[in-house]
Amino acid sequence: MLRESSQQTGALDNLNLQGTVNPEADTGVPHGNLLTAFAEAAVQQTDALPGLGEQIVAELGVQELVDAAGVVANFQRMVRIADGCGIPLDEFTKDATDDCREELGLHEYASAANTA
Amino acid sequence: MPFEYAGIDLPIRDTTISSHRMSWEVIARPGRWWTGAERVEIARVGRAARDFDAVRSEMLPDSAVYAIQKLVVDNANLNRDWYQEIISSEGMTEDRYVELVAVVVHALSIDEFHRALDLDLEPLPDPLPGQPSRIRPPEAEQRYSWPAIVPKGGLNPGDEMLYGPMEWGANVISALSLIPENVRWLHDLSEGHYLSFKEMRMPDPLRAISRPQIELIAARVSSLNECFY
Repeated sequence: MLRESSQQTGALDNLNLQGTVNPEADTGVPHGNLLTAFAEAAVQQTDALPGLGEQIVAELGVQELVDAAGVVANFQRMVRIADGCGIPLDEFTKDATDDCREELGLHEYASAANTA
Repeated sequence: MPFEYAGIDLPIRDTTISSHRMSWEVIARPGRWWTGAERVEIARVGRAARDFDAVRSEMLPDSAVYAIQKLVVDNANLNRDWYQEIISSEGMTEDRYVELVAVVVHALSIDEFHRALDLDLEPLPDPLPGQPSRIRPPEAEQRYSWPAIVPKGGLNPGDEMLYGPMEWGANVISALSLIPENVRWLHDLSEGHYLSFKEMRMPDPLRAISRPQIELIAARVSSLNECFY
């Protein structure tokens, strides 16, 4: 979805998917490192969370913070549905992500076993 | 009324608030396989697990408590054998497992929204009386995921469009459909926190952050959870 949305918005040339698995890498998405740091602090419930929230408000805005929190909350749910029900990748996703799953090391995840 | 967000200086969207309130109502009601009291207890145990508090329950089967704990804090290490063991345990079935997962993950999602914004967690709802309906959709079939799912024709009237053009929906959308009400719940809380299914097809939905920013956060959360899907 990240790659697809970047393509649709014309930002694909600058996209580095490594930033989704490596917090040191720059994805090329504007304010991407701040948003991924926020996501990481939220998932791991670290003390950095309030400060990163304040930084998002300062650099992006308060509605942006609320919307970012919503996305974190949504995917904390979706991953558990996927993992808790053992769902495989949809065929259309499988085809579209063939080239990047290996590169990102996603086959190392235990839930990769759900996709033949 | 829950989720007033009184005195909170944050622009919480109306769709978010309404999806939170709806979720609390859904959790409090008897489901198909658990009573309202049991459903609220499932949410309570899930909340305790996320806070790394002692997780125990006098109301739920031990295997249910164990499943909740795994779903909340060790979801990256679930597998088919584990699933089979859970649904074969005393007091558990495939249907009860699916309903339990739905309550756990939707309650967790709302709590996570609060935690991300450093807000107090909403008190859990008071359970409503009544018995579970114990109705399993006759259309349910074993497909690719562990639990059975229902096709479009097994969804509640008016919800068929939530599967889009696909007879069985995208895998994550139909994953909890053994309880057909879950498909609507999934959609409505998605709309409140992320995007409606319709907005997911839009390159530039009406959110303060861009679609690539939204999907970057989604991808990072998935990665941190080691979720292949």
